[in-house]
Amino acid sequence: MSTGTAEIEITSLSKVFGAGASGFRALSDIDLTIRQGEFFTLLGPSGCGKTTLLRVIAGFEQPTEGSLRINGKEVAGEGPNSRPVNTVFQNYALFPHMSVAQNIGFGLKMLGRARSEIDATVAEMLKLVQMEAMAERKPAEISGGQQQRVALARALAPRPRVLLLDEPLSALDLKLRKGMQTELKRLQGETGITFVFVTHDQEEALTMSDRIAVMSAGRILQTGSPHQIYHTPRERFVADFIGDTNFLQVEVAGVDGDGAQVKLPGGAVHRARLPQGMRPDTGARVTVVIRPEQAQLVAPGQGALAAQVEKSVFFGTDTHVHLRLPGDAPFILRRQNTGALAEPDPGSTVGLALAEGALQVVGD
Amino acid sequence: MVDATARDTGAPAKARPRRNYDVRRLPGFGAVAIFTFVMLYAPILILVVFSFNAAPSQAQWGGFSLQWYEAAFNNRQVREVSIRSLWLALVASGIATTVSTLAALGTTRVRRFPGQTMIYALINQPLMVPEIVTGVALLIFFAAIKVQTGYTGMGYLVAAHTAFCIPFAYLPIRARLETMDITLERAAADLYASPFQAFRHVTLPLLVPGIVAGFMLGFVISLDAVVITEFVKSAGQDTLPTYMLGQLRRNITPEMNAIATLFLALSLCIVTVFFLLTRKRG
Repeated sequence: MSTGTAEIEITSLSKVFGAGASGFRALSDIDLTIRQGEFFTLLGPSGCGKTTLLRVIAGFEQPTEGSLRINGKEVAGEGPNSRPVNTVFQNYALFPHMSVAQNIGFGLKMLGRARSEIDATVAEMLKLVQMEAMAERKPAEISGGQQQRVALARALAPRPRVLLLDEPLSALDLKLRKGMQTELKRLQGETGITFVFVTHDQEEALTMSDRIAVMSAGRILQTGSPHQIYHTPRERFVADFIGDTNFLQVEVAGVDGDGAQVKLPGGAVHRARLPQGMRPDTGARVTVVIRPEQAQLVAPGQGALAAQVEKSVFFGTDTHVHLRLPGDAPFILRRQNTGALAEPDPGSTVGLALAEGALQVVGD
Repeated sequence: MVDATARDTGAPAKARPRRNYDVRRLPGFGAVAIFTFVMLYAPILILVVFSFNAAPSQAQWGGFSLQWYEAAFNNRQVREVSIRSLWLALVASGIATTVSTLAALGTTRVRRFPGQTMIYALINQPLMVPEIVTGVALLIFFAAIKVQTGYTGMGYLVAAHTAFCIPFAYLPIRARLETMDITLERAAADLYASPFQAFRHVTLPLLVPGIVAGFMLGFVISLDAVVITEFVKSAGQDTLPTYMLGQLRRNITPEMNAIATLFLALSLCIVTVFFLLTRKRG
């Protein structure tokens, strides 16, 4: 399937619960295009509106204003039963009085398909999620991980254009969750269906998605590939929500093209990338982001920054070194435990070398 | 949202109160429990025992006999009022269950609307209003209709019984709907079911235990209603309870014990069937 064409187009969409002054604005001015066949993730903390947006796409909620097109067709105002979209619910919502096979066949039955076609698709789906042996069991008789796979099969059986997944992995334990992440990617590859995935787990979002939309307080703050979201966050919230981050207050020494020269604590001047459309004045104070793995410990007096070591925390694969910069700003540095690196002594002064392109200016 | 994590571990561990706080260890627990059970069941036990009495006494045992059952079965009047009672209970609780199912859907599966609490209170009102008040009110109301229309059939009893069966049928159905995960209906809609199909294939099958419970509760309540029936019935419309009451005023024979015992057996059957029906569905 081509990845260029739009599957879902959302324009100026808002959702207000309640009326008048007491109304709650769950979604504000959402503009979003999800492409055909991509694995798209809505990421944000609880209450940010990601689930509401998913429900609006599914048809369980109607937008207060704005337009929602699926495969070029306006669907705002239509019910969930007339949209080519199926949902995997957070609690799976399997029909408890039906067998696994009946659950999977339900959508096709409602679409009025022939018995033979339903049976064939159910068999195919059972195979796809490796649940052939459980076809006649009731949902209560299978494990949580198996229920999850049945819920997936049930949503995939009618061959929807879009599959919506509402935090489907949150109820599974860590090991099952890792397994299901791989499974979901495989299913998406095999079916070519557009997946819209809702999660608050940034790691899950980074590893699984083709693109991510980061949401907060009913707005989309940034949309982009996991790489873009991680390395070039546009706003402080995005940088803070995704991965560990160091924030530094710096002074702008000059602007050039898509970057700026900034004066770091201690006086060294370093180049930082600017988010699109942001051109701070020389002398202005801005916030820059440095990821913990993009700084390296060097001998005192070398590198772009000088820092004092507070403590080291061992994590197995890597060690976090907690530092203080001039002006008392905290800084965490991560180094991989590839060799027998000596831990720096607490209280000692060290230099910090910053990787090329380590600095990113963010809006507040 | 329903917590799905509990399902992962299979059977959740049964909560076991700590030994020292077990209510059975409180002083006097055993005595109170035994006293309560004796008070509840001793009179019924005595009634059952004396229904098999060969002597026509409620106090002196004259040997085992089935003569009072025979007498009851051969009593044309008893047969007649029993059939009338069963018919009335079946029809009234049938109508009440249907109406209650619709009412329960209308009060749980909609967005909150102004006056919802009021409607809930109105549906349950027959539980609160003293039966004697309803009885008198219906007597006067139906008398007026009788004068206007001349109709004196069973319709009045059916209407009266249906009315007081409604809250009993409504409560278990509503309770079932409230604990039913609304996402199931959403899932059905998401899988292309029309609102009617979602009701027919998902809501209704899951609601059956509640509906059966509501029906049976209504049935039992109608079967032993005395006060309202007494006020509403026309001549020749005695039900089993009003007939028994009438008989007891004259002469207490163990025949009444036999009828009461059969009554008890019937309700035990209903309870057992209901228990077996609901047990499997969890």
